[in-house]
Amino acid sequence: MTTRRPAAALALAVGLVVIAGGTAGLLLTRHSTPAMRPAAAGVAALPAPTGPIVAPPQSAAPKPVASPVSLTIPLIGVRTHLITLGLTTSGELQVPSSTSVAGWYTGSPRPGAIGSSIIVGHIDSRSRPGVFYRLSELAAGDKIYVKRADGTLIEFRVASVQTYLKDHFPTEKVYGPVPDAELRLITCGGAFDFATGHYLSNIVVYATEMS
Amino acid sequence: MKFRSVFRKLLMLLAASALLLGIPTATAYASSATTGAGWIRLAHLSPNTPAVDVYLYSFGNSNAMIVLHHVAYGTVSPYESVQAGDYSVAMRAAGASAASQPVLSTSVTIATGHAYTVAGMGPESGLRLQVLQDDLTTPPGQAEARVIQASLKQQVVSVSLASATLANGLKFATVSKYQVVSPGTATVTVKAVGANANSSVTLAAGTVHTLVVLDGATGLEVVNLEDASGSGHPPAGGVSTGLGGTAPHGPGSPVPWLVAIGAGCMLALTGGMRLRRNRQLTARI
Repeated sequence: MTTRRPAAALALAVGLVVIAGGTAGLLLTRHSTPAMRPAAAGVAALPAPTGPIVAPPQSAAPKPVASPVSLTIPLIGVRTHLITLGLTTSGELQVPSSTSVAGWYTGSPRPGAIGSSIIVGHIDSRSRPGVFYRLSELAAGDKIYVKRADGTLIEFRVASVQTYLKDHFPTEKVYGPVPDAELRLITCGGAFDFATGHYLSNIVVYATEMS
Repeated sequence: MKFRSVFRKLLMLLAASALLLGIPTATAYASSATTGAGWIRLAHLSPNTPAVDVYLYSFGNSNAMIVLHHVAYGTVSPYESVQAGDYSVAMRAAGASAASQPVLSTSVTIATGHAYTVAGMGPESGLRLQVLQDDLTTPPGQAEARVIQASLKQQVVSVSLASATLANGLKFATVSKYQVVSPGTATVTVKAVGANANSSVTLAAGTVHTLVVLDGATGLEVVNLEDASGSGHPPAGGVSTGLGGTAPHGPGSPVPWLVAIGAGCMLALTGGMRLRRNRQLTARI
C-alpha cells in the first residue's frame, strides 16, 4: 500500500495547483477593465507644424476661409490629410473609407470660420488602431492644428472631451450654431457591441480657435 | 484533522472568489466637465456719437478684461468667450483715461452657452447701452435673421429679404425679432420715407445673422453680421467610426475557471484522503 503514497501526494499537489490556477484565472479575468486601452506602441509626440498662424477673420464682413487639408494633434501622434465627407442617403454622417484618415464634414463650417466645424475619424479597423485611436487621451488645453488649402495654419485648444451614448447623441450641442470658431473631433468609444459590430458611444472633443 | 482544516481553507477561498465575482467592473471614462462659458460682443451703433473706448469688466473687478480702443459708429467686435457670470460694460470717450468716469455703463449677466451683444444705441443725447440676447439655434436646413435699426437719418425703416418681411416700421435704435428664413443668396431691401437701399446677402443653412441698418456716407447701408454658424443639415444620430479591432473583449464566462477549481478540489480531496488512509495504515503496521 505504501506504493500509493507518492501517487496520492501527487494528486493532492496537482489538485491544489489546479485550484490556485483556476482561482487566479477567475480573478484576473474578472478584474480586466474594459475601459483601459493599451497605449498605442511606437507613437511619439509629434512636433507642432509650422506655418503662419492667422487671426480669426472676424469683422463686419467675414472673409471666406480656405478649406482644410490636414490635421495634426502632436500630443497623440495624429498627422493626417483630410478628405471631405457628406451625408449618407439615410441622413447619417459619412465616415472615411480608410480608418487611417480623418475627414471634414462639408456641411459644417470650415475650420477657422465662425461656427462648429466637424472632423471625423475612426478609432480602429477590424484589426488595428485607427487615426483617432488615442483621441480620448486629449484634455483641456491640448493643441490641435488644422492646415488649410492656402497654407495657413489654425491653432485650436481643447475645451473639453465628452463621451455620449450613440442612442443619446446631442445633435444640437455638437452640430448646432456657435458664435466663434470651434472644432469638434468625433470618433467612437465606450463599449463595443460584438453582436452588432458597433461601438455604443461616441467621443467628442470640443476645441476653440486660439486668437 | 489537519486535512479538514486544509479543506475548510479551500472552501473559504472558493467563497471569497465567488464574492469577488459579484464585483462589477467599473467603466469610467475621462471626460472634463462642460465649460461654463458664454459669449459677448460689443458694438457702437449710435450714429452721431464720436468714437469710444469700450471696456468689459468682470463684475466687481476694476481691472478690465477686454478694452476695445477707438470704436467708431458701425463697428461690431468679434465674440469673446467668457466664463458665465456677471459683467459690466463701460464706454469712455476715445483716448480717455481708464480711471476716468465712464460716459455710460451697464451690467450684463452671461449664462452658459448663451451669446449677447452689448451695443451703444440711440442718439448721442440719449445714448444708452443695450444688452441684446443673440440666438444660437436654427431649424434644420434653415437660416435666421433679425434687424438692428441704427439709422438716425431715417427714423423708421422696413426691411425685407427676397419676399420675406424681416421688419416692418422698425424705429431707430430698436431691434426686430429673429425670423426663420430660407437659406441662400438674396437681396435685402431697406425702405424708408426718404431713402431706399438694396444689398445682396448670403445666409447659409444653419447660420444666424443680424442685419444692421446704418447711416452711410451717401445713404443707407446694410451690414450683414454672422452671429453664429453650424451644420445646416445636422447628421442623424451618432457616427460609426469604429470596427472593434482594438475593443477589449469582455471578461468571458467564469464557468471554465469554476470547473477547473472544482476539478482541483476533487483531485486534492481524493489525494488527501488517500494520503490520510495510507498514514493510518502505516500507523497500524
